Amino acid sequence: MDFELSDEQREWQMKARKFAQEEIRPISLQRDAIEDPAKTWDWDIIRKGSKLGFRTMAVPKEWGGEGTGFVTQALVMAELAKADSAISKSFSQCWKWSHLIAQSCTEDQKRRFLKPFLDDDTFVLGKGISEYDAGSDNRLPPDDPRAGLKLRAERRGDEWILNGSKAYIANGNIGKLFFIDARTNPGVPLRQGITMFLVPRDTPGFRSGKVFNKSGWRFYQNGEMIFENARVPHANVVGEVNGATKKSGGGGGDTTGGDLFGDLELAANALGICDDACESALAHARATTPDGKALFEQQLVQLKLNRMHALTEALRSFVLRVAWEHDRRIHSPNPGLAMNFSTDVVQEVTELYMDLRSGAGGEMDAHADKLVRDSFIWSHLAGDTVQRLKVARRLGR
Amino acid sequence: MFSLHLSPEQLEIRDTVRDFVGREIKPVALASARLEAFERPLLTVQLEAASRLGLRTLGLSEDAGGAGADALTCAIVTEELAAGDPDIAAVLGHTAGLARSLERATTPAQRERFLAPFARDDAFHLALADAEAARDGADWLLQGACAAVANAPLAKLFMVRTRAGTLLVPRGTAGVAVREQPGDWYHGSCGELAFSNCRVPAANLAGEVTKAATLLPALSLGIGRAAYEAALEYARLRVQGGKPIIEHQAIAAKLAGIALRLETARAAVWRAAWASDHPEAVADRSLPELPLESIAEAYAPEAMLAAAKDAAECFGAMGVMRDMPLHKYIRDARICLHSGEGSGAAKLNLAVAITG
Repeated sequence: MDFELSDEQREWQMKARKFAQEEIRPISLQRDAIEDPAKTWDWDIIRKGSKLGFRTMAVPKEWGGEGTGFVTQALVMAELAKADSAISKSFSQCWKWSHLIAQSCTEDQKRRFLKPFLDDDTFVLGKGISEYDAGSDNRLPPDDPRAGLKLRAERRGDEWILNGSKAYIANGNIGKLFFIDARTNPGVPLRQGITMFLVPRDTPGFRSGKVFNKSGWRFYQNGEMIFENARVPHANVVGEVNGATKKSGGGGGDTTGGDLFGDLELAANALGICDDACESALAHARATTPDGKALFEQQLVQLKLNRMHALTEALRSFVLRVAWEHDRRIHSPNPGLAMNFSTDVVQEVTELYMDLRSGAGGEMDAHADKLVRDSFIWSHLAGDTVQRLKVARRLGR
Repeated sequence: MFSLHLSPEQLEIRDTVRDFVGREIKPVALASARLEAFERPLLTVQLEAASRLGLRTLGLSEDAGGAGADALTCAIVTEELAAGDPDIAAVLGHTAGLARSLERATTPAQRERFLAPFARDDAFHLALADAEAARDGADWLLQGACAAVANAPLAKLFMVRTRAGTLLVPRGTAGVAVREQPGDWYHGSCGELAFSNCRVPAANLAGEVTKAATLLPALSLGIGRAAYEAALEYARLRVQGGKPIIEHQAIAAKLAGIALRLETARAAVWRAAWASDHPEAVADRSLPELPLESIAEAYAPEAMLAAAKDAAECFGAMGVMRDMPLHKYIRDARICLHSGEGSGAAKLNLAVAITG
């Protein structure tokens, strides 16, 4: 066994730490406190991060990206999330789909889409799966063809005509390119009847709807996407017609996309929040002296700090092991388990942190409040019963 | 005799308040625009409507213009109000509980001066604070600041606990400054009181005034119940996996877990409230000699936060959206847990009681 990081991994980690603490942290609470959900995004930080390689670091070297491995990506996500979880996710969201481009797109598609993505510091990516009436059904689809996403795509000559809408889509209102899952055969169960399309922002017939107003991850934008006879060339089909899940899931039937990356992404991001909570809690316990004695001297405070650190270090071990397995293309239920586990950890750790920060009647520390709200996002993304059942099915296979 | 029967009057009050909350409070308190806004100012129109219903003076005797409700009835009313709006529930709960205690701590002459105008005025609220008092001739002089005083910004009468007893200080008395608490990490209304050479005549000295024992846990109970009812309704409507999600074992078990916490919390709250109405039950060994309100306070807010989080999870992504009430239920439950007298303090109280 070897727990040592390579020089390259260490270098990325340090670069991310510097950027996170110097650039992200100062704007974190400020962006979170903006009331209009459509105005929380900040292109300036995206541009700065992009110039340092944090937007494109998952693109393979042969295509002009940084070609980093999964361990490096996990380390960087955690460092960025330690300063702001939502801003970290805004960068890693681009890695998620650049993995997909590299893995599933034709040379022609890579040329048409990867190039502009690499050249433009404000080019961010998204993927549209969820719809108002189809959430869990896309993750764990029943056999009934009526279940799951409904956005329809019909072939007309060299084009596909898309009609319907998507909801809660990350970067939906600001992204320049989207992977859209649409029904190309509504008469069969979901997994046999959907196709993935590359849909650029300027596609005729496509427009953004409202930006969702979330309690946490406020920087990170989720939007509505509306398709009214939107015209997408056949050349933008990713993989085969009716083969979307095969492509995005690498045959694993994972319609949440991102293949290997998605589960690791949430677990690594959670780790960053936990690191922030642990460090802040310890600093607070040392610096606060109610009744003249440091908070840290109280047994109950020490027990809380112990629990926070134990959970965080357990999560770190799990995250890095999963990343290491990904780098070696070892397939197992571990990524899913780590993602589920990260939900429990990040919520318990941030709640303990909030507990330490409370005390004065009628006031709450804005940082603790934000971490707790951000962590609750994991409930529906990473730790809901469907996400746990999905991993359990894999265990039972 | 062990009985969990509510009296016909208690049942009637519960139904009346539930109906009022459903008609007058929920449609306003849970409107999307209000839920989305960062600031949610107190719903004063609805607060006054609840006052007119008699909920402000609930705990006063009928002679004093109230309904003569006991602590258990007050806890039931707080739960019902909090299921619609914890802010209204908190303001009324504090005032009604303090009024009940004030009636017992005052002389007939004091009741005439302070309780009679209180009973007549729907916008008359009460607050309880602590300060230092020094004798100055026939008067008392109050000094000192008191932070996080519930109802301070609204109250027309401050009840100030001192070593000498409780001094009744009408709003507007020279030497009292009120500052609204910044932020919004509290339910109802909250502020800081500062006394500086505040002169209070000796005639305003009353006996010991205490606040409602089970207010906080009853408040959290209402929040948890609102979250539960929302999740139950949604789980019957939302179809995923080929059937309403309530028919999936995982969701049904989650709802059962919420119900379990709700019923256990309510049992703890009711027991504490009933015990405060029946102190003889400790003497005759029916109840243990423990601070039962601390048990309710240590259990309910924590359990209700877990309940609200589970309820929100049933809504998927909608559970984190600000135009839906779930995020507010979670936040409201957190406020109960971390408002300074949350479960940590209650557990320590219990520890002290046990270890002596």
